Amino acid sequence: MSLNICWLNDLAKAQASARTAKKPVLLDFFNPK
Amino acid sequence: MGAVTYPNEKVVKFVDYNFVPVQIETSDTALMEQFKVSWTPTIIVLDPDGNEVHRVVGFLAPEEFLPTFMVGKGKYYFNAEMHPEAQGMFAEALENYPNSDAAAEAVFFMGVSRYKMTHDPKPLREAYETLTAKFPGSEWTKRAAPYRLIPG
Repeated sequence: MSLNICWLNDLAKAQASARTAKKPVLLDFFNPK
Repeated sequence: MGAVTYPNEKVVKFVDYNFVPVQIETSDTALMEQFKVSWTPTIIVLDPDGNEVHRVVGFLAPEEFLPTFMVGKGKYYFNAEMHPEAQGMFAEALENYPNSDAAAEAVFFMGVSRYKMTHDPKPLREAYETLTAKFPGSEWTKRAAPYRLIPG
């Protein structure tokens, strides 16, 4: 079974989740090319 | 990062347990500009209000990614004045990755966090002594240099 990080793609939603979960956001800027 | 580090099992478990992860493509120029990102990968730890806590530019293999973001999570707690939790993260980085590039920063912030919690300056001097002994070439050893003047 492969594992994957469950990335969100919306910073505002990530911040809302972080507030609820009392966790920091890990924001990764990446170039898909 | 996507080929080597992010598929790593330890990294997956660590990130999902400790953070809310979000990936933004470089085509999102508004966010690139907002966070002043000009090279990738750039990975930033933010508190829920969007305040930057920690930033890394460039590739990190799993054995550097893990302690680097243990320190990043520790700095999140540190900024929130949650010192026992901060020290727990710094200790986790030091115990599991004592020879990583992030270990010196963990020693530095461990000392500062202990000082802020107790108002006893001795942990600052202890941090300087540990840094001098174990990481003589680190920037964190230079930043701790004033603490050598604290009486032992």
